[in-house]
Amino acid sequence: MAEVRLENVVKRYGGFTALPKLDLHVNEGEFLVLLGPSGCGKTTTMRLIAGLEEITEGDLLIGGERVNDKEPKDRDIAMVFQNYGLYPHMSVADNIGYPLKLRGLGKSERMAQVRKVAEKVELGELLDRRPSELSGGQRQRVALARAIVRRPQLFLMDEPLSNLDAKLRVTMRAELKHMHHEMGITTVYVTHDQMEAMTLASRIVVMNKGRIVQLDTPERIYSEPADLFVADFIGSPSMNLIHGQIAGGTFTAEGISLPVSAPDRAKVVLGIRPEDLQISDASTAPIKAPIFALELTGESTLVTLRAGATQLCARGAADFRAKMDDTCGLAPRPGGRIHLFDPESGLRLPS
Amino acid sequence: MRDRGLPFVLMAPAFLIVLATTLYPLSYSLITSFREWRLTRQRRPGDFVGIDNYTGAFTNHEFLSSLWVTTVFVTISVVATVVLAMALALLLRRTGRLHTFVRIILILPFAMSPALIGVSFRFMFNPEFGVLAQGLGAIFPFLKGVAWLADPRFAMGILIVTDVWHWVPYMTFMCLGGLTAVPRETEEAARIDGASGFRILWEIILPQMRGVLVVVAILKTIFALKMFDQVVTLTGGGPGASTETLAYFVFKVGFHWFDMGQASAMAWILTAIMMVISIWYVRLLMSERKLVTA
Repeated sequence: MAEVRLENVVKRYGGFTALPKLDLHVNEGEFLVLLGPSGCGKTTTMRLIAGLEEITEGDLLIGGERVNDKEPKDRDIAMVFQNYGLYPHMSVADNIGYPLKLRGLGKSERMAQVRKVAEKVELGELLDRRPSELSGGQRQRVALARAIVRRPQLFLMDEPLSNLDAKLRVTMRAELKHMHHEMGITTVYVTHDQMEAMTLASRIVVMNKGRIVQLDTPERIYSEPADLFVADFIGSPSMNLIHGQIAGGTFTAEGISLPVSAPDRAKVVLGIRPEDLQISDASTAPIKAPIFALELTGESTLVTLRAGATQLCARGAADFRAKMDDTCGLAPRPGGRIHLFDPESGLRLPS
Repeated sequence: MRDRGLPFVLMAPAFLIVLATTLYPLSYSLITSFREWRLTRQRRPGDFVGIDNYTGAFTNHEFLSSLWVTTVFVTISVVATVVLAMALALLLRRTGRLHTFVRIILILPFAMSPALIGVSFRFMFNPEFGVLAQGLGAIFPFLKGVAWLADPRFAMGILIVTDVWHWVPYMTFMCLGGLTAVPRETEEAARIDGASGFRILWEIILPQMRGVLVVVAILKTIFALKMFDQVVTLTGGGPGASTETLAYFVFKVGFHWFDMGQASAMAWILTAIMMVISIWYVRLLMSERKLVTA
């Protein structure tokens, strides 16, 4: 177990700057998720921590020790790759046991530990197989077993679930979470899937264009997004973002006239999550517009209205029925949150 | 309606060409190898003599010596080529301007005619005016004035060098192709798991390259067994018979001594050796396929 510190870390590839300046502190024992769209620098950050890429400027400390110039093998870390990175010419047992073999453990002791870990990830029956004879989920388990077999002080996981089918992903997610709870090893996890990030993380780092946009707990990332990027990125369906103005305590945009407690502003973006909106009587509702789409998801119905140029999505009851193009009214749910952003800087406005 | 004969008609020319250029000479030489046919005495093939030509070959000590010369040549040249090609491929693996440039000029040795390579190396190792002979003499004084191609061991060495020099580039390209098929992630995983550079090469990269390396070794072995051009233009089989390879000796028996029956038998012995080695290599390859896909 160890804490990880990145201090003023810069990464350049030739003339291209992948990370302009990164400061990040991973607490001991926490499950930190790096989240962002592809190309945001999250994988680069992880590869820097792993030592697979060289740091251009700045310091990387693992467990208080500067490791910039240390080889990956000397950093006492384990990594799970997106494509698993299994050794195709070795059996499952040899794959899992390879890190132990490299540490000079004898064959019998190695096999004992391999067996123990294999039981834990339910691979006990498959030890003699080759990776090519396994399913995606089983390969994922081998990669996981190989990572945990020597109890490193830091786990790195690079989109480990993205090659699995949707159902398996949910199961493995729970298993990962349980494993982290059991072993308590500091984990840095990269994903572009906000659902994965929300469910797994102790804290989430939202990244965009090589910079950290917000670093916080999943609850606060969800309830208080720092800017428009985070607001749009987190949540499914994503937050409704409406351009308009505030005058006399009322936010107005086409088809919308909503009371807000904020000072007047000529240009503002109002954000409200679909789950914070409810369907209400069209004659009195603050939001009135024709229905653009109705999507039944099972536990609820997603109602999309088109008000001028903006589309507004609300989560309604599963039994909600209406005709397309009929005018429908929406109102903020009592206790629902309204977010305000500056359209120029994208930053959240204090409310 | 479909004419069922048409495919055969269309195939016939190609089939006839193969028949005329491959099967006919092959079977003709096989038949000849069982007959007495000395061009100095008779214009047409003579009596069938059973396996006399074959037993004759194995009791001919010059033939046995050429068999030994070939064995030494093939072993060293194949091992050196495979090792060097793999090493070069590892060096040239990264992309970059220098790497691309080196890859391009690597084509040159392979593009040269083997006969020409023999001639140029003979010039370069000429003790009087050869650039390599002079250069080596200048750097290592004890090598001054060595008559390179007049010494049996040096002559064999130079013959091997010319062959390796000719083949390494092509085999490097094959290895580069194989290397790109090795997933980067397996290497990175090994680095993190704690493997040193040497162990990554030995335990992760090379096992995954096995298929390509077997193919490289098969090809190189077959070409080395046929070594002929440089023997003619570089050493003439000498000094003595120290660089007389099988292919060269067969040529000598056939076209210096005009014993066509004997030459055919020896050529078939060479063919049999090649077939045995190829089958062994293919077995190796198959066993690997089984491991990966079973």
